[in-house]
Amino acid sequence: MILGSRVRKIEFGIMFITLSLIVFSILMIYSIGAISDGDDPLHFAKRQLLWAFFGIGIMGGMAFLDYSKLKAYFPLIYGGTILLLLTIILFGKSTLGAQRWISIGSFQLQPSEFAKLAIIIALAAFLERSEGKLHDVKTVIQAIGITIVPILLIIMQPDLGTALVFVVILIGILISAGIKVKHLAVILIVGLLLVAMVFQFNILKDYQQTRLVVFLNPDIDPSGSGYNLRQSMIAIGSGGIFGKGLFSGTQSRLNFIPERHTDFIFSVIGEELGLVGGGLLVLGFFLLLTRTLAIGANSRNHFGLLLATGITSMWAFQVLINIGMTIGIMPITGIPLPFISYGGSSMMTNMFAVGLLLSIYARRFS
Amino acid sequence: MDDVIKDKEQRIENRTIIRVDVLVAIVFIALAVIVVRLWYLQAINGEKYKVFAEENRIRSIPVRAPRGKILDRDRRPLAVNRLAFTMTLIPEKMDDEKLLKRISELLEIPIDVIEERIESKRVDPLMPRVIKRDVSPETVAYVKEHSDKFHGVEIIDDPIRDYPRGTLASHVLGYLSEISDEELENEEPEYLLGDLIGKNGVENEYEDVLSGSKGVQLLEVNAGNVALRTLKKEEPDPGNDLVLTLDAEIQEVAERALQKGMDLAKKDGFKNARAGAIVVMDPNNGEILAMTSLPTYDPRIFSGGISEADWAVLNDENNLYPLNNRALMSSYPPGSTFKIVTSVAGLRTGVMSSRSRFTCSGGWTGWGKRWLKWCWKRSGHGSRNLEEALTVSCDSYFYDVSYLIHKRGKEELQLWSRKMGLGANTGIDLPGETGGRIPDKKWKAEFNKAWPENQTWFPGDTVNMAIGQGDLLISPLQLVSIYSIIANDGRIPRPHVVKEVITTDGMKAMAVETEEMVKIDVPASDFKAIERGLKKVTTVADGTAAGAFIGFPIPVAGKTGTSEVAGKDDYAFFAAYAPVDDPKYAISVVIEQGGHGGSVAGPAAREVFDYLFGIEDKAGMKR
Repeated sequence: MILGSRVRKIEFGIMFITLSLIVFSILMIYSIGAISDGDDPLHFAKRQLLWAFFGIGIMGGMAFLDYSKLKAYFPLIYGGTILLLLTIILFGKSTLGAQRWISIGSFQLQPSEFAKLAIIIALAAFLERSEGKLHDVKTVIQAIGITIVPILLIIMQPDLGTALVFVVILIGILISAGIKVKHLAVILIVGLLLVAMVFQFNILKDYQQTRLVVFLNPDIDPSGSGYNLRQSMIAIGSGGIFGKGLFSGTQSRLNFIPERHTDFIFSVIGEELGLVGGGLLVLGFFLLLTRTLAIGANSRNHFGLLLATGITSMWAFQVLINIGMTIGIMPITGIPLPFISYGGSSMMTNMFAVGLLLSIYARRFS
Repeated sequence: MDDVIKDKEQRIENRTIIRVDVLVAIVFIALAVIVVRLWYLQAINGEKYKVFAEENRIRSIPVRAPRGKILDRDRRPLAVNRLAFTMTLIPEKMDDEKLLKRISELLEIPIDVIEERIESKRVDPLMPRVIKRDVSPETVAYVKEHSDKFHGVEIIDDPIRDYPRGTLASHVLGYLSEISDEELENEEPEYLLGDLIGKNGVENEYEDVLSGSKGVQLLEVNAGNVALRTLKKEEPDPGNDLVLTLDAEIQEVAERALQKGMDLAKKDGFKNARAGAIVVMDPNNGEILAMTSLPTYDPRIFSGGISEADWAVLNDENNLYPLNNRALMSSYPPGSTFKIVTSVAGLRTGVMSSRSRFTCSGGWTGWGKRWLKWCWKRSGHGSRNLEEALTVSCDSYFYDVSYLIHKRGKEELQLWSRKMGLGANTGIDLPGETGGRIPDKKWKAEFNKAWPENQTWFPGDTVNMAIGQGDLLISPLQLVSIYSIIANDGRIPRPHVVKEVITTDGMKAMAVETEEMVKIDVPASDFKAIERGLKKVTTVADGTAAGAFIGFPIPVAGKTGTSEVAGKDDYAFFAAYAPVDDPKYAISVVIEQGGHGGSVAGPAAREVFDYLFGIEDKAGMKR
């Protein structure tokens, strides 16, 4: 019976979904093989496996901790994150026109990944006291203030895509915290005006503007900026219903798909596994997200609910943006596909989130 | 109290659930949009994108077909393919300035010329760029020894044209050169930049037969356009070989004979005798056995791509345009050789018979004393019938005949000229042929549009034409044709230089049909009368070509001609066929500015006949 109560404390559903996604990720990265000639074809698959083990450790550790205790540390978590983001801007390593990385030994950390979770925890802790009735304008503005600092720091990197993830997390948490429809509308309108200003005053870097233009018209310059999008759509489209089979994607093997183990991994999935494989993956994400929301809804307190909705917002937005860009319905950004794209920072962040969810579930009655 | 709290909690729960449901709905919609889009891309447009993906990874590279050979009638090779080294550069190295500089120094070609050659946008991006064809073995060895310095330079075996008999029959063969931009736009789509295409001669006329069809190699390439492997290779279909009607030995003799004729002319004081043509034809079937034109050129200079200096030489007016095949591209007033046409016209119009006699007193005043015309022999030939007039080439006789024709007012001299195939192309299977010119009233009015006083056609024009002077123009090929008509009793097949087309393993692929070109209805007795005259030209003492044919045992029917060209020395002509009773060969000889037909063109023809009939004695040339 003791064992039985322990078992009932574990959410096997989300564990199963998560682990399936990770296995699928490693399989796809293995199928992609070497990125450049002469590399070890197993290099990225092995490292992703390593990240998965770290991630599972983090998940397990977090599952045993009481997530409520995080509340007490939220100023520390928040402050630490802001410091980390500042460090990046001052000392970060620059790739592809943006500073997103900190090198530790041979590993590179991407603090903005961890920052997403930190902001979820901070917002959830801050808004928990509204107890689902966020009617106070002052609190809303404070919540926006909490989020806007890391957003500005990330825009300075500059990484507009990740900054948008923070916006979506904020909105998701505000909704479940019970923001008034009126207030939400004002936030959205102000947000749109800000976007308009960004365009008006040419704040975007050239490559960002080009990406947007190309997104609106992918055939505008097929060999230039539209190249990635066009090649990705050819890859996915040519996969047809059942795909070309693992290891057999020509667009993938012959280098037509850029960043194919990270940002454009879905292009390879679409090409090699077709509509069936891509559809099953989307179904997997649907189950993951609905399970996450269910865990939130069954949470013992509002903190758990807000954490779960924040995590859902983060994942859902990343899935939509990442897959969306590979199929030409979203602009191209550098946002990874949760659990699937190769990358340690993102893997550990996401597994930490799963650990939080397991903790929320295990303590739903206490 | 408990109930109130519970009730409050319950309401919180409800609101929470509603909000969570909103989030679930948003998630569902977002993911549904993705699935719908995937359906659109993969299920609906999958086939279209599959094509794009294949186009991405597969490049088809054309493989050139070996060009067919050109053989003489006994299948002796005249134009073949020789293995040569072509230096190429892989596309990735096109911008390597240091490498280009090294290549430029090695080949002694200016670097901008090399850049111009390799930067053409029309070559498939994967195809190696041709830098130079027919590179010397020493250069190849140097590049191989220093391969570290010439990384990206590839030496490929690329067959080029070779001519085992040198300049022999170069005008009939033609030459090859790289296809020009204009040709690329106009020709069939299978041609690519850098392809060789036949210019002039049978290389041009039978381009389709010789060129074969390209094969294709399907390569898999990656995004960097680097070929990774061959997916499929379709071998090219080699071009077919041409078997010419030419006989290489007769051709060689004819070329030598023409040169000797010109040498004779020079000895006679005609220093400008530098150009001419000989055509030897089988009058029975129209097969051209030899066709030579001087000055000539060496087709080998085109093989590795002709240099600018060589091209300038070939196109210099002072060099008399050696690329021109004078046998069919040039036309001349044929002089007395034309008198056989006047004879046919006279006989057929009935203004005379073969027995009619006209008296030559040296000066001819048939059209009135004011318009006195001289016979070449100013002392006169006396009374002559057709046969006798032809023998001595009496001009007055043909003035009389043509004036009678003229008086009928129907332009019948022109009519019979045209019936015998003059004034129009013979239709030989060689490019660039001229049809010559048969002058008449209409032509003269048109030609002198700007000079109304010169538009009238006078009897003098007809009379001049009768002896092959004036505005009349015929080509050496036409000249041999009209003599073949006499030889063949009124009909000749269309002249041609290709006998048959064979595949590379020698199987006959196509035979050339001999079609009739001229058929005129003239009683055999009339032809015989002309023939008797022509035979006496070479056999009796006062025949105009008797000197050239002294001691020649086979009866030859021939006619000399000497025509006046304003501002130049006289042009020498001779046309003949033999043996008279069973004609096997017809020949025409033209030597520009060579003087008298009987003294230079006749001996050249004799030289050819000596070979044709296996006669050892070269008396005609020795004189």
